[in-house]
Amino acid sequence: MSRNLSLPSPEKQQAYRSTFLQWFKIYIHGMKTAFASRMAYRGDFFMSMFIMMVVELFGPLITLLIYHNGASFPGWERHEVLLLQGVFLLSRGIAFPFFMGMVWNTISRVQEGTYDLLLIKPRSILQMSIVTAFDSEDLGKLIGGILMFAYAMKSVPTPPFTNWVSFLLLFIFSLLSMFAFGLFMSGLGIVWIGNYRIYEIFMSVMDFGLYPRSIFNKLFQTIITWVIPISLLGSFPASALLGKEISGVLGAMLCAIGFLIFGLWFYHRMVRNYTSAGG
Amino acid sequence: MIKVDKLTKTYTTYERGGTFREALKSLVVRKKKMVEALKEVSFEIGEGELIGFLGPNGAGKSTTLKILTGILYPTSGAVEIMGYVPWKDRKKYVANIGAVFGQKSQLLFDIPPMDSFLLNQSIYNIPEQAFRKTMNEMVEMLDLEKIVRKPTRQLSLGERMKCEFIMAMLHRPKIVFLDEPTIGLDVIAKGKIRDFIHEQNKNGTTFILTTHDLEDVEQLAKRVIVVNHGEIVFDNSMDHLRKHLGDKKSVHVTTRNPLPSLAQPGILIRKQHSNRDVELELDLSKLKLNEFIKEMNEKSIINDMSIESLEIENIIKDLYSQE
Repeated sequence: MSRNLSLPSPEKQQAYRSTFLQWFKIYIHGMKTAFASRMAYRGDFFMSMFIMMVVELFGPLITLLIYHNGASFPGWERHEVLLLQGVFLLSRGIAFPFFMGMVWNTISRVQEGTYDLLLIKPRSILQMSIVTAFDSEDLGKLIGGILMFAYAMKSVPTPPFTNWVSFLLLFIFSLLSMFAFGLFMSGLGIVWIGNYRIYEIFMSVMDFGLYPRSIFNKLFQTIITWVIPISLLGSFPASALLGKEISGVLGAMLCAIGFLIFGLWFYHRMVRNYTSAGG
Repeated sequence: MIKVDKLTKTYTTYERGGTFREALKSLVVRKKKMVEALKEVSFEIGEGELIGFLGPNGAGKSTTLKILTGILYPTSGAVEIMGYVPWKDRKKYVANIGAVFGQKSQLLFDIPPMDSFLLNQSIYNIPEQAFRKTMNEMVEMLDLEKIVRKPTRQLSLGERMKCEFIMAMLHRPKIVFLDEPTIGLDVIAKGKIRDFIHEQNKNGTTFILTTHDLEDVEQLAKRVIVVNHGEIVFDNSMDHLRKHLGDKKSVHVTTRNPLPSLAQPGILIRKQHSNRDVELELDLSKLKLNEFIKEMNEKSIINDMSIESLEIENIIKDLYSQE
């Protein structure tokens, strides 16, 4: 008799829904708590958020300077590059406040020995690392991303609906890749205690996503598409929105899924190796 | 309720000297060292017990506690608590336990403890009614009515520690692990926390108390487990612990006339304040108390005398110094 491959039973579906709702509820609570904590120092909060936003706009500023001086990225108009960078900053603007905080959270908690306190909660350690790491001042990055994206969109002809659909799909993959980056950085932070350089190295690697994929040589293009899905962070979603021809997008999407699965495995493997701090 | 069988934990650490040359050398070559934090430790704890888990620094107490709370994986051995293996069924298991770490706070520093309690309500999925009932009960018991809405950073250490207890027990855990819960507290705060633990234990909560404060152990624990060098060196009741060094008494005596010679079997001079004032340790298996009192009174006439059980500190010192 063939196996029944139908949907999970209504009870199971209900359980999944309730787990998801619970997850969401805890996340919102964590967010509110983080805001409340940050509001204790309001002046510093607004200043930090403003600085974050301004710093984010430095990349596009360099692009403007390049084009202003007559140079260019081959095959890309100025407004197209700005759109690409807007997409990249938007992706980073969502990732950093909402889930990338887990990296700093993990590195500092492991160093202080307070990672233990997350492990004694009846939730997945990954969920606890994210819930307790909402970074409200990184919302400056999101505002910067939105501003940049909106500014670049003004110079681009209105994309057809299908371009928007492709863009949204690739943008989700961009966020998944960011999440995978976060998993690797957090995992390394568990075993490589107090090494804040991990963060800087990954950030530098990620910054290649600020530029069109086509400006790099073939080997590097292969690496940032098939090995580490950096092309998905800005180049591919922006190309989809602009209706540009993209090669290797399916491969990059597969690579992103693999990267995410490997990231999850790596993170949980590193949790197993957690040694805690002396008591 | 808790079954620990041949629990072993070894880990690798790296040795490095203190000099600049050795620091440079360690960048290239590091000397590995295997540390056996726990060596086949076995014990059982029943429901509703209040155990004092003692040991000198580096003896393996915290490692045991971290394995029992699901934080660390052991190298070998078995642990079963309420039917769960802590490191395998971590999420389900930790929903039934609580932990207070005296040196690690679960409260969020910049906001009131109340906000941290509410976050815990979400994490543990505690129904609103049960949450309010437990919280109000505990807040009242620990005199925290005016405290829970103040930012944590403005609270005293004692107030913060009381809030840590609420944080750890809002979900009504069956077992609570306490790691140095009274460290740095004044006598009043210590007393309040001890009363709270006592009360909760009477209601059926099992406590495992790790501390260096022997007063905590004397006042709370009925049974004591002592670990040293990763092994259990004592596991019995408080009464047995008191008799561990034999049937001995601590005696402080002052006399009208100079003291007689005390160099005789069963007497150990601890501190001689003058020739009329001395602190002794009496071994009652070698010298009967009434004979000692009679002799002292006849030879020197007793002015004042106190007789107490041997201080637990001395017993623990003896257990800690065993190789």
